This record gives sequence, C-alpha cells and structure tokens, in this order.
Amino acid sequence: MVCNDMNDKAAVVRRIRFRLNGRQREAQVASHENLVDLLVRLDLFGARESCGQGLCGCCTVLVDDIAVSGCLTLAQLVDGCEVHTVEGLAEKGKLDFVQQAFIDEGAFQCGFCTPGFVMMTHELLKRIPEPSEPEIREYLSGNLCRCAAYPEIIRAVQTAARNRPDPAGVAGEHA
Amino acid sequence: MRGFELVRPATLEEAIRLLDTDDPTVRPLSGGTAIMQMMKTGIFKPSRLVSLSSLAGDHSAITLDDKGFLSIGAMTTLAAVEHSQVVLQHAPLLPKVMKRLANVRVRNAATVGGALAHGDPHMDLPPVLAALDAEVIAQGPGGQRRIPVADLYAGYFETVLQRGEIIASVSVPPRNGCNSVYRKTTTRTADDWPALGVATSLGRGEGVLQHVRLFASAATERMTRLGSAEAHLRGNRPEAKLLEEAGRIAAQEVEVIDDAHGSAAYKVALVAVQVRRALHEALQQGSEQ
Ligand SMILES: Cc1cc2nc3c(=O)[nH]c(=O)nc-3n(C[C@H](O)[C@H](O)[C@H](O)COP(=O)(O)OP(=O)(O)OC[C@H]3O[C@@H](n4cnc5c(N)ncnc54)[C@H](O)[C@@H]3O)c2cc1C
Ligand code: FES
Ligand code: FES
Repeated sequence: MVCNDMNDKAAVVRRIRFRLNGRQREAQVASHENLVDLLVRLDLFGARESCGQGLCGCCTVLVDDIAVSGCLTLAQLVDGCEVHTVEGLAEKGKLDFVQQAFIDEGAFQCGFCTPGFVMMTHELLKRIPEPSEPEIREYLSGNLCRCAAYPEIIRAVQTAARNRPDPAGVAGEHA
Repeated sequence: MRGFELVRPATLEEAIRLLDTDDPTVRPLSGGTAIMQMMKTGIFKPSRLVSLSSLAGDHSAITLDDKGFLSIGAMTTLAAVEHSQVVLQHAPLLPKVMKRLANVRVRNAATVGGALAHGDPHMDLPPVLAALDAEVIAQGPGGQRRIPVADLYAGYFETVLQRGEIIASVSVPPRNGCNSVYRKTTTRTADDWPALGVATSLGRGEGVLQHVRLFASAATERMTRLGSAEAHLRGNRPEAKLLEEAGRIAAQEVEVIDDAHGSAAYKVALVAVQVRRALHEALQQGSEQ
C-alpha cells in the first residue's frame, strides 16, 4: 500500500514517502511514532530526544526548511515533506561552516546538544545573516547545553556568520 | 504513547464531520506542540486525531478588512504572527508577546487555533487577545458563531467550544486609539511559562479613562476578567492613586492558585504590583503618541 495523501480511512500504520537530506525515502510508520523515533530507525542519530517536551532543542530538524522539535512532531505528518538533519549538512567526512565554527570555538564538551545548536544556527543565519549577541541569545534560548558551553556557542555563531560562504549555502544545499 | 488513528481531512467541513462525535478521545491536532505533551504523559489517550494540517493553505491567512478588523486564520503559526507586518501595524502587542512565548521551534509549529483552544490558563495569547476585544470564529456542525475570547474559557483546560466545533479564525477589532500592554512574570527563566500574566487595554477621552480592559491569567484557574478593578478605573482620571487602588482591588477580586510557579500569597502580591505597572505602562504609551 502506497499512500501519499492521508484520507479518513482508519490506519494505525502507514507507508509514508518523504525526502530526507535530499534523498527520496519510504517508511512504514506507526501513528504514535515521533520524527526522532523514525530518524533513529533510519540510522540517523544526530537528532536525539532528550527532554521530549520541546524545551531543549536536542531533537531540532528542519521540516520544509522550518526548524521544529522532532520530539513533538508526529512522523506520519512528514509524508510528502522535505526533512533535513545535521547529517545532511555536508558530504560524508566533511564539515559545513557552522559545524567548523563550533569546532574552532570549542563550543561543546560532551557534544550531545551540538546537532541541535548547529541546526538552529543555520535557521538563525538564514533569517538574520549578522545577528547581534542579544539576537543570538534570544534565538537560541530554546536550546539547552548542560555542559554550559554558552559563551563559546555564542562565539561560534558569530564566527559562522563571518565564515558563511554565500547566502544560498544553507542547510540542505549540499544534499 | 499507544497507537491511534491519524486522519488528515482536506476541508474544514470534513474535519468537522470527523470531530462530530461524543467520544472525548477524538480531537483536532494543529501544531501538535501541546497535544503531544499530553499524549506523552498519558493524560490524553486518543483513539483518533484529526490533523488540520491540510487546512493550513485555506486557514492561515492574515488579512485586514476595510473596517480595520484584523483576521488571523486558526492555522497561522505563532511565528507567522510574530513576523507579520500587518499584525505589527494593527496589533503591535501580538508580535511583542511572541518574543517571550516558548521558543523559536515551538512558535514555528504552534498555531493560533491551538493556542486558543488548549485552555491551559498559563498561556499568553488568551489574556492578550481578550484585552484586545478579539473574537474567535468557531465553525461547527450547526454553522458558524463568534465567541469573544473573553468568554472562551469555562474552566481549567476547558473551553465553551461544543461538539465538533473548530476555531476557524480570530478577529481583532481596530485599536481606536487604545493602548495595550501585557506583563508576564516568570519565576524561573525569562521564557518560562508565566506565574502571572496581566493584559490591559486603555483608551482615554476628555481626561478620563473611557475604555478599560483588564485580564489576569496563569495565577488563576482560568483566564479572569478583573471586572471590579475595571469599574473602579472607568470614567475616572488616571492618577497614580487610582492605578494603585485598581491594583489592590484586582488582588482582592482574583482567585489565585498555588503551583510550581509560586505560592498563592506571593501571586496575590504580584497581581497588585503588575496590574498597577501594566496600567502605568499603557498610559505612558498613550502619552508618547
Ligand atoms: C517548550 C514549550 C514552551 C511553551 N511555553 C509557552 C509560553 O511561554 N506561553 C504560552 O502561551 N504557551 C507556551 N507553550 C504552549 C504553546 O503555546 C502551545 O503548545 C501551542 O500554542 C498549542 O498550539 P498547537 O497548534 O501546537 O496546538 P495542538 O497541540 O495541536 O492542540 C492543542 C489543543 O487545541 C485543540 N485544537 C487545536 N487546534 C484547534 C482548532 N483550530 N480548533 C479547536 N481546537 C483546536 C487540540 O485538540 C488540543 O486540545 C509552550 C509549549 C512548549 C512545547
Ligand atoms: S528532545 Fe525535543 S526539544 Fe528536547
Ligand atoms: S556540550 Fe554537553 S550538553 Fe552541550
């Protein structure tokens, strides 16, 4: 059964089709699965569920180029959508400018929160190419770092803004 | 979370038909940011969720009519409200409130309809929209009706929406020279849920307060109109003493609850202070124009 458009026929498990980091994918998805559950099943571990409540940003992914909490997104609803995760930012073995900036500034200790911060930084630089420090703080206030690398993270965002290749070089363009 | 049926109707009429049931485990799903939490914690176990996501195309417009009424479709995300130039011009309080409401990702997903229908008394939009005299346009099996946001809540997490009724849009009347303020007190972090929300809208004429709206939320079981404080202000000159008295009256009339955000005694004291400050701030804005 291939079912792109959901209709009102009862179904707890559905086959969905969506683009993941630029590649067309299909998956059998149960109604209660969230997007992080689905990504993990597809062997992507960058988005991870931590708080599970929309608070911490560890599960940040882009759905149709909008940053959302994967932990609060029902996986069946990405049917027909374009999903981008941290794994799709650069080719295998390479890093994109935001990831590189986080390394250059030492903006993490354990790294658990880093994929979420990197994805949110992409979204921020898309909206505000040269953000001020208050703008960075406000934008990233929904991302928590339990190692408290906040000063370094703010510097990493500033470095990324300076090193940004060109306005089109945002998440997903490498796919 | 256990399995349920997730359906995605293409029209509002179809969604209403799917929701027209006595079964309380059938509910609409918009941004999902609130309902997912309730499902994860086991408070809500759906048998069917009716996703309104396919209605976003038709029900997420922000428009202004020739009488100056702002209409915001129920599926409009909070982020779209935050960044809308039309909203900024005609209801500048709304984008301001968004800045401290949850976080970017939640605002990207959460909708105006969900923010109004959820009924959690801690939410910021209900008191703000009530102070602006906004009305909800609800569509149900029996047709359409308008409900003032001020009258939308029946209790804790409870609205007056009836079986099969969906919020289709919200209508905000023109400002008519009134100034509106929302003061949100959080006790843990700046973007936390409020311990108290106070929203006011004031209009002056001939040296006295003619138009007065005053609402409290978060500290209360449901959003509450501060009617006695409003009456004390209406028709009087807005002097410091009057505003202080209004704060005290508000603190007396409001029924506050104890919770993780603070004790009831603390919140009663907060009401008096924040009502007075909100009134001052609104008057200040008025005199700057
Ligand atoms: C981390 C976090 C922090 C938050 N902080 C704040 C905060 O500081 N201030 C604040 O105000 N809010 C806050 N919220 C709450 C947030 O505003 C709500 O979760 C959101 O507005 C709900 O909208 P939604 O579209 O996601 O609703 P959903 O979760 O889809 O639905 C919520 C409820 O409304 C019903 N519903 C949805 N749409 C309609 C409709 N059109 N007609 C009738 N019923 C409908 C659903 O059945 C459900 O019962 C926070 C949420 C999170 C996750
Ligand atoms: S795990 Fe999703 S925001 Fe924390
Ligand atoms: S680096 Fe450890 S949580 Fe951020």
